[in-house]
Amino acid sequence: MIHYTNSVEVSSGDGSIGRSARYRKSASLLLMVIGCIIVYLLPAWLGGSTVVYGLFVTIAILSVMALGVDVVLSYLGEVSLGHTIFWAIGGYAAAIPSTTWDVNGWTTAAAAIALSVLAATMLGLATLRTREFVFSLATYAAAVVVAEITFNTDALGGSDGIVGIPPLHLPFGIADFTGRSSADLWPIAFALLLLSLGFVARFRRSRLGMQALMVQMNAPLATSSGLDAHRVRFLVFVVSAPITALAGWLYAYQRAYVGPDMFDMYFLTMMLTSIILVGTRILLASTIGVTLLLIQQNYLSIGGDGNKVVLGTVLVLMLVLWPKGLVRLIVDAIKPAVRRRQTVELNDGEVSLRKESARSR
Amino acid sequence: MNVAQQAINGLVIGSGYACVALGWTILLGAARLVNFAHGQMYMLAAFICWFILTRSGIGYPLAAAISIVAMALLGVGMQLMMGRLVMTQNLTSLMIVTLGFGYILQGVAGLLFGGAPHTITTELVQQKIQFGDVWFTSQELLIFVVTLILYGVVWLVLQRTRQGAIIRSVAEDPKLAQLFGIDSRSVYIAIFVLEAVLVALAAVLVAPRTPILTSMGFEEVIITFVIVVLGGIGNVGGALIVGMLLGLFTSFFGALVTPAYTTAAIFAVLLAFLIAKPEGLRTR
Repeated sequence: MIHYTNSVEVSSGDGSIGRSARYRKSASLLLMVIGCIIVYLLPAWLGGSTVVYGLFVTIAILSVMALGVDVVLSYLGEVSLGHTIFWAIGGYAAAIPSTTWDVNGWTTAAAAIALSVLAATMLGLATLRTREFVFSLATYAAAVVVAEITFNTDALGGSDGIVGIPPLHLPFGIADFTGRSSADLWPIAFALLLLSLGFVARFRRSRLGMQALMVQMNAPLATSSGLDAHRVRFLVFVVSAPITALAGWLYAYQRAYVGPDMFDMYFLTMMLTSIILVGTRILLASTIGVTLLLIQQNYLSIGGDGNKVVLGTVLVLMLVLWPKGLVRLIVDAIKPAVRRRQTVELNDGEVSLRKESARSR
Repeated sequence: MNVAQQAINGLVIGSGYACVALGWTILLGAARLVNFAHGQMYMLAAFICWFILTRSGIGYPLAAAISIVAMALLGVGMQLMMGRLVMTQNLTSLMIVTLGFGYILQGVAGLLFGGAPHTITTELVQQKIQFGDVWFTSQELLIFVVTLILYGVVWLVLQRTRQGAIIRSVAEDPKLAQLFGIDSRSVYIAIFVLEAVLVALAAVLVAPRTPILTSMGFEEVIITFVIVVLGGIGNVGGALIVGMLLGLFTSFFGALVTPAYTTAAIFAVLLAFLIAKPEGLRTR
């Protein structure tokens, strides 16, 4: 688990408060590192079978995929239905160069990032002035059209897709990584997840992240304070694309195949449901959401069509009943208890204060 | 190329597009609501009609009517669940909720009807009407005529009747309309039922022309989106014109260039339009 606390350095003449804040910071850092190590070793502890590793790698990949949509949903308040394009671009950027020229994973990853940024720039410019459902309609239509082009273009493998993607090969200078099985790919998938989470955490605190929130919450105020709302929205959209694309990139290596099924509504619904289930503007929302949903699909599956009904129902019920997501639901449930404890502490303090004043009297 | 024949084909395709888009146009124009399950509702209506036709001795008109009634009931159910979101005009959530509904419908249809393609066979599809070297089927004539009548009736109701005025006032401000004694919630349910009925009607009319699949909802809605945006969000007349034009475009693009990339070409038109005129053809 990674915790992000808004720790504020308090500088005081005393110095003890600053030190305690520093301690708290290093303690949370330590907890983060321990949490990461535990999660990293978890599949091995759970038996280390191919199925377990497969599940963990898929969770990591789909979490990163949804994280791209989360950036747009949480910081622009817009629903992008076109992120399957970037997801597929990542997959095809891994598939075509690696099968045609046998290039390594770094080159295909660079291609995935470059092409997704290019596609997002084009789509972002076209939808620059659209908002709400028109934005969603346009991005959705774009996804359907790119799917149709992919399906009908032989150079992209057509309806059959591209098979025989070689194992992921990443030269690290001193040592090379080559991996095919899910167990091999787990370190890469985990690293990709951490990198993406780190990137989004950085984005949240960045200038652009703050500006995006301001534009979402009060666009006229943002504009009157000199912000170009269109520019901010465009940049956030472009920034979100390579995250989803890199997930698609690794997905291609995991399956050793890409095809037009990457445009399937499953991925779109998965992206949205995982975020809505847990809540927006929560860093780990997509990770937790994807984990819960994939556990259902893997261990409590009721068949492909049945799982569709489950996924759709989760999405509908969450928005109708608890639109703020599970995390805020739980927080709201325990908040009264916390408040009660604080009141008790306050009362205790008051009592001791009174005792003290009585004594001094 | 037989220009007259392509023009006829274009008008038939176009009236099909316009017919499928009518429910969405009303929903958006009159109630400022969105429904991303539109395509899946079209699919489900077509499958219900197909199921009744193949499993019972009931004829096409009655099967179509049962399918429409079933969709109307579904519309009531969906709207009851979304009630709070609709009253607060939370468009972003509504969009995702209806997308979820669409996914559920696709799953349910998969469970009930399987994944294989089917065709709705009606007598009207087999009846050819020939004028010189152009021809069309009775089904196609029916689509064209019904679409024109539906658009005419909807336009008259919205612009010329008290019910239309009530719908428009609720769209403007549901809370304020309530203060004037209008039951906004019932009006929303009525509009949503109308959307469901219209999409079901479109499905039973248009779907017999092509094989039906439970996964077709995803593609089915895209033309509706293009019509709704190009026609000027919720503009009934605009939707009819844009629908017909897109039908002609589809027909001639397919004949002159390639049918495989027709949707892509239509989308290119949409993109160019969004850049040039993001607010659509809206004049009001």
